[in-house]
Amino acid sequence: MTANEVVERIKKNLGLPWNEKTYRDTFKVGDPNTEVKGIATTFMATLDLIQRAHAAGMNFVITHEPTFWSDRDTVSDVADDPIYKFKVDFCARNNMVVWRFHDHIHARQPDLIWVGLARALGWQQTAGSRNRFTFPPTTLAALATDVQRRMNIRALRVVGDPRVKVSSAAVGMGYSIPRVAPDVDVVIGGENPEAGGQFDDTEYVLDAAFFGRTKGEIILGHAISEEPGMEDCANWLRTFVSEVPIQFIRAGEPFWSPKA
Amino acid sequence: MELSRRRFAHFAGAAALAGRQLRGQQAPITAQQVIDRIQMGGGPSPGDIKAGDPATQVNGIATTAMATMDVLSRASKEKTNLVITLEPAFFGRLDAAISDDPVYAAKQEFIQTNGLVVWRFNDSWRARKPDPLAAGLAQTLAWTKYQVADDPTRYDLPAMPLAALAADLAKRLNARAGIRVVGDPQTSVRRVALLPGSSPLAATMKILPECDVVIAGETREWESVEYAQDTVVSGRKKGFIMLGHVLSEEPGMKVCADWLKSLVPEVPVRWLPSGDPYWRPA
Repeated sequence: MTANEVVERIKKNLGLPWNEKTYRDTFKVGDPNTEVKGIATTFMATLDLIQRAHAAGMNFVITHEPTFWSDRDTVSDVADDPIYKFKVDFCARNNMVVWRFHDHIHARQPDLIWVGLARALGWQQTAGSRNRFTFPPTTLAALATDVQRRMNIRALRVVGDPRVKVSSAAVGMGYSIPRVAPDVDVVIGGENPEAGGQFDDTEYVLDAAFFGRTKGEIILGHAISEEPGMEDCANWLRTFVSEVPIQFIRAGEPFWSPKA
Repeated sequence: MELSRRRFAHFAGAAALAGRQLRGQQAPITAQQVIDRIQMGGGPSPGDIKAGDPATQVNGIATTAMATMDVLSRASKEKTNLVITLEPAFFGRLDAAISDDPVYAAKQEFIQTNGLVVWRFNDSWRARKPDPLAAGLAQTLAWTKYQVADDPTRYDLPAMPLAALAADLAKRLNARAGIRVVGDPQTSVRRVALLPGSSPLAATMKILPECDVVIAGETREWESVEYAQDTVVSGRKKGFIMLGHVLSEEPGMKVCADWLKSLVPEVPVRWLPSGDPYWRPA
């Protein structure tokens, strides 16, 4: 089975038409006609991840985020870079293929990245809501501790008064944090800009909290928020690809944080 | 003798006070006049009054990297009615174009009610030579003596493990949870490059090969962060540190306050840092 045949089968099983204009969900490394020995799904095809996938006998990496450090994987901007050459050489020598699965995994019903995040949080979702959770009143500090423990986060960041009582949250994935809303105590998401952002940036949340319009914000990290869904992706792939082994391999949280 | 000395001190103090009051009466300075003076001293690029009346008589100036409500309310309590901010006062929403937003409206109302003027000083402050944001960060870190040639973004420090450097940054910048690090904590680092504020992939790609550790403000996880991870895994002994956007820029606004003290001697000038916005559970 070739990498391209795997992708064709994904397209058939998505349950929605393929957007041929996507620049994200395309092959990034290697020959699509490469014979697949095994599939690794992951959050991001870092060099470390590609090396570990190879060591585990997998030569086809399905990644949610970019390989070459930009949303469009704009290789022309980085072609002379020694790290680029190192990464490409490793892939070429080891017959690795990388394909990105971003727009369509989010667009399918249900969005597997969301399924993974909700599963990892393990909270009871508010009936009928898209991204809301309610829980018995607790403090923002206790809620953040719960999130930190459930998702095993080293570099979690929280905005707001730790002692404030909270009982509801709206949760987002990746580079988006839900808008502050009057009926939501805490907004939770992956990554967002601190100032001058398109969404409710950190400054907005600080000021909204000052005026009592929100209680706070929990920033998980982009990888932390979207990596669990790539495990669900691996499970889903196994329902229609039985010819080759499929394994979810964690890219992992990129950061650590000094003791405050 | 003692009495007369005390009396002299009393008179001297009174004279100084009278002088200040006289100066205040004779030459009140408006927000617009302060801004005009800054633009003459700092370059032609115009800044914008983000909120408040430019004709307001200034009783004190505060500089900050981010004019949050917390900063504005501290300024107001300290009778400091001109707030000079590096980052937008009204988030990413093109400032005045978001009047239907409740947080925007409440912030505007606070500014009007308390007679504050908020002015954004970004482009021409950043363009100033030598780079005041990098130089300010280095000053706060006590690194000025380690500067490489005449480049305020480059420092050659005594070698130390990446973990020790990160811990020192956290201490000197009063960080809570905002600092995040890529790389082996034990890697020995010496050559440092500073990228305060928000920086694109190209900036990291240019500078990381030339140093041991980049200290950035804010970058994206799928851009510079992944590049730094790949650099380390390719066998290079490097580190990459993100301080947070505002934490990385505040020292540069302390430099701004010091500069304004001589430029606008009529009123007190203070630095009001907004602080590390983040914490995490113990």
